[in-house]
Amino acid sequence: MKKLLVLLMMSMLLLAACSSGASNSNESEEGSDSNQITIWAWDPKFNIKAIELAKEAYASVNPDLKINVIENGQRDIVQKLNTSLSSGTSKGLPNIVLIEDYRAKSFLEAYPDMFQPLTGSFKTEDFVPYKVEATSVNGENYGLPFDTGVTGLYVRTDYLAEAGFTIEDLQNIDWKEYIEIGKKVKEATGKRLLTLDPNELGFLRTMIQSAGKWYVKEDGTTPDLANNEAVKRSFEIYKELVDNDLMNFHSDWNQFLATFNGGEVATVSTGNWITPSIKAEASQSGKWAVVPHPSLPGMESVNASNLGGASWYVLNVPGKEKAVDFLTKTFGSNVDLYQKLVTDIGVIGTYIPATKGEAYKTGDEFFGGQAIISDFSKWAEEIPQVNYGMHTYAIEDILIVAMQNYLGGQDLDKVLKDAQQQAEMQIK
Amino acid sequence: MRILTNRIRHNSLFFKMFLITILIIVTISSLITWTTFRMSEKFFIDRFSFNNSKMIDQIKESVGTFQYSIVIASNNLLNNSTIKSFLTGKHSNVQLGSYYYQVKKQMNNIKTSVEAYDVGIMVYGINGISFATERSSWAVSDEELQNHSITKKTLKQPNKLLFHLEQPRNQTKGENVIIATKAFMEPTSKYIYGTMYFTIREKEFRKFYSSYTSLGNDVLVMDPSGTVLSSNRDEYIGNKEEELKDYAIQLEEQQKDYMDADFKGKDHLIMIEYLPTFDLYLVNLIDKKAAFGNIIDKKSIVLICILFIFLAIIIVFFASRKVTNSLSNLVKQIENTPKNDFDHYISVKGTYETRQIGQAFNSMLDELHEYVDELVLIQNQKRNAELAALQQQINPHFLYNTLTSIKFMVQQGGKEEATDTINAFISLLQNTIGNISETITVRQEINNLKSYVLINQKRYGERIRVNYFIDPNCFNSQIPKLILQPFIENAFFHGFNKKSGGTINVLIWEEEATLVCEVLDNGDGMEVSVNNKLPDTKRKQEMFSGIGVRNVHERIQLIYGEAYGVSISSEIGKGTKVRISLPVQKN
Repeated sequence: MKKLLVLLMMSMLLLAACSSGASNSNESEEGSDSNQITIWAWDPKFNIKAIELAKEAYASVNPDLKINVIENGQRDIVQKLNTSLSSGTSKGLPNIVLIEDYRAKSFLEAYPDMFQPLTGSFKTEDFVPYKVEATSVNGENYGLPFDTGVTGLYVRTDYLAEAGFTIEDLQNIDWKEYIEIGKKVKEATGKRLLTLDPNELGFLRTMIQSAGKWYVKEDGTTPDLANNEAVKRSFEIYKELVDNDLMNFHSDWNQFLATFNGGEVATVSTGNWITPSIKAEASQSGKWAVVPHPSLPGMESVNASNLGGASWYVLNVPGKEKAVDFLTKTFGSNVDLYQKLVTDIGVIGTYIPATKGEAYKTGDEFFGGQAIISDFSKWAEEIPQVNYGMHTYAIEDILIVAMQNYLGGQDLDKVLKDAQQQAEMQIK
Repeated sequence: MRILTNRIRHNSLFFKMFLITILIIVTISSLITWTTFRMSEKFFIDRFSFNNSKMIDQIKESVGTFQYSIVIASNNLLNNSTIKSFLTGKHSNVQLGSYYYQVKKQMNNIKTSVEAYDVGIMVYGINGISFATERSSWAVSDEELQNHSITKKTLKQPNKLLFHLEQPRNQTKGENVIIATKAFMEPTSKYIYGTMYFTIREKEFRKFYSSYTSLGNDVLVMDPSGTVLSSNRDEYIGNKEEELKDYAIQLEEQQKDYMDADFKGKDHLIMIEYLPTFDLYLVNLIDKKAAFGNIIDKKSIVLICILFIFLAIIIVFFASRKVTNSLSNLVKQIENTPKNDFDHYISVKGTYETRQIGQAFNSMLDELHEYVDELVLIQNQKRNAELAALQQQINPHFLYNTLTSIKFMVQQGGKEEATDTINAFISLLQNTIGNISETITVRQEINNLKSYVLINQKRYGERIRVNYFIDPNCFNSQIPKLILQPFIENAFFHGFNKKSGGTINVLIWEEEATLVCEVLDNGDGMEVSVNNKLPDTKRKQEMFSGIGVRNVHERIQLIYGEAYGVSISSEIGKGTKVRISLPVQKN
């Protein structure tokens, strides 16, 4: 009886299946389709928007190319790239991927064959030099530079005025002068100078890059901490800021935003990408200005540095020619696109010819009419070239500990020596 | 129209049979289809409830593991002195900086227990200081946190690990977050120094069960108030589903695995499992229509059924048509048989039954025929016998009248006359009573007539003369006995009541095969009735035998058939003509 029932059911199912028609076969073909490319990037409000604008611009050049933009978190992209590249398979990889400059070398050096060299396909002299350096390995250009993380010192002009300063007093100063001003501002307003997350040393990075130094030597692999004057001075300045209670602490991004939006600090020293967050507090319009990044005192250093920024890389998978064509004809040469990037999203590119455009020269009322984009672009060109190497974040983890030890009263030389040893051990 | 109704009448058996068969086929097919639907649905429900209870077990397990990792993390947080001192007391800015560093270190350790899940940990102390490992999914400021309903609820039940749903304040950005909270409480002193929050995006939490869900097979996680914390169906999240809460209570009371119930106006199979450690309900909703409706394609089954029914009807139509056709043909033939015509045999064909009926009908007709023939024969014989009897009967009046006449002749001395009369009388009696054969020759009949006429002339005088004109060929022809005598008798006694005398002519000749005898008189004549009936003889005593003119016609037809008989034409004042036609019969 049961068998019969099952049989009946089966036949009914069969009939039903027969009549339900063809199933939809809509599988996506990855890369194998010669007329489409895939791009991975993170941050839908920034990078994804930028790539969409580039897509629009490219439609007039080659309307047939289908461009799939896939949004993934940065962590996911790094993880997927590492997994795919280390397993040696190119399947499932995109044609173009956005990689943070600090991490780029770790991929380029570990998997040189998997990336398509772009040398000669765009004019490197049209891009700011530090960015070209960051995207190149052994004289080959691999990345097409995208945004710049050029830093500036965002300052509250009203607090400065209370202490009797104008922005003129802050042009091209070094950190020592900055601290002196900070003390007076605190005296006058009770506000601390700036806020930092003790678990993150981006601040330190900007300081050492302004002196043309990095955590590693020019070869990109040898840790350079114990005898690195820039690191040493940066540590000292950090401690001085803390000791003079000029440093506010936050523990995460939300607190960071809340601190300056709430008017708790007089300045913010970070990359230009913070501009939208500063402007988010509309009530502070006209109270902010941007001045050049302070330089390191007592050594060769410029009033410009960088924090963050990413570039586009083409992977050595089928469709790479199309991908290269897409990048070079958009981010590689399209001045108009860069104007749109500035006006629509606020992305400051590293393409020098674009800085002559109208959008770059427009003044921003929030910053008292200052043409901040133009200023940032100018500073970007001055940023010293450094080889970020492969181990930025690994060494930084060591330095975070070292900084706490130093703040806790240990001798700076010893702290850095220990850090150097630890870094050498870890990296090798 | 009449043809149509006739057709229907003739085929009524077919129509009845056909309609009943269709009715039965349709009813049975519908019943079977319906039963199949029900059975398969039950089958699938059983399957589903079995599979889904397994599924729920697995979900419970994975959610349990998740919860356990959170419990471990919360215990570690509770036992962590760095965090405790971070959350209590006032810290200078510099201290805070180093705390942030240390707490981060501790947190990284603690976080390892929830590493497998995308969980953010946040702690918030009574001193208003917070630390979050990952705040992006739940962006909330310290001030908001202090007055947050989640914080308040947690502090009310400091011992419990509570689960909450936090929905984004504006719909466009942010996403649903599930937050597990517990208060920081010293175990002995019951001193509460903060709150811990484990945040997991609802989309991540969903992964515990979303792989088990399918179209019409939904999973919800609901708190005891009926609020849906998480579901693979976005539209349910955050809703208060009182219905489900009631079902949960019912299921618990009845200790059943699942129930059939209505949810959002649709028929659902509902399984609800209480997760005591969570104080949450795990709800599995199976939309019967969506889940089973797809498995059983009712539409095509019904279509196939209809197709089969249609085919069956066509087959039944032709088959029953064939069976009933022979029967209705038979009926038609029988019906067409005229009432009196028993020769109309029907053709024997068709099925065994109809052939048998046809044969029976035909043999019945045969028997009927035989019977009727026999009956006719008997009737004829009977009538013949009657007529014969009448013929033998010599009217006694005639006898004694004649004898009286002879007596008078003798008395008056007419010896010769008396002798002639007696001779004629003797010959008459001889021929009528003595001769037993039914027919006699024309000659004998004429002799009889002559004898009869002679007797009558002797009795009543010779005012009526009788002439005989006989074709000599006819003398030997056979005719029934006493066939002419009644007409002569009639003419004698009725033809000449007004006239004083006249002539009676008897003519006999042959016309082809017909022997024609005419009795003509030139007497009074009479009214001849339309149907050619002869008048009755009133004076009975005048008659010679039992046979009157009336009987003659009847007798001739009885013997020779309808083609022969007596016809009378008469004209008043001129005379009467009686014409008798008979077949020529010679020995």
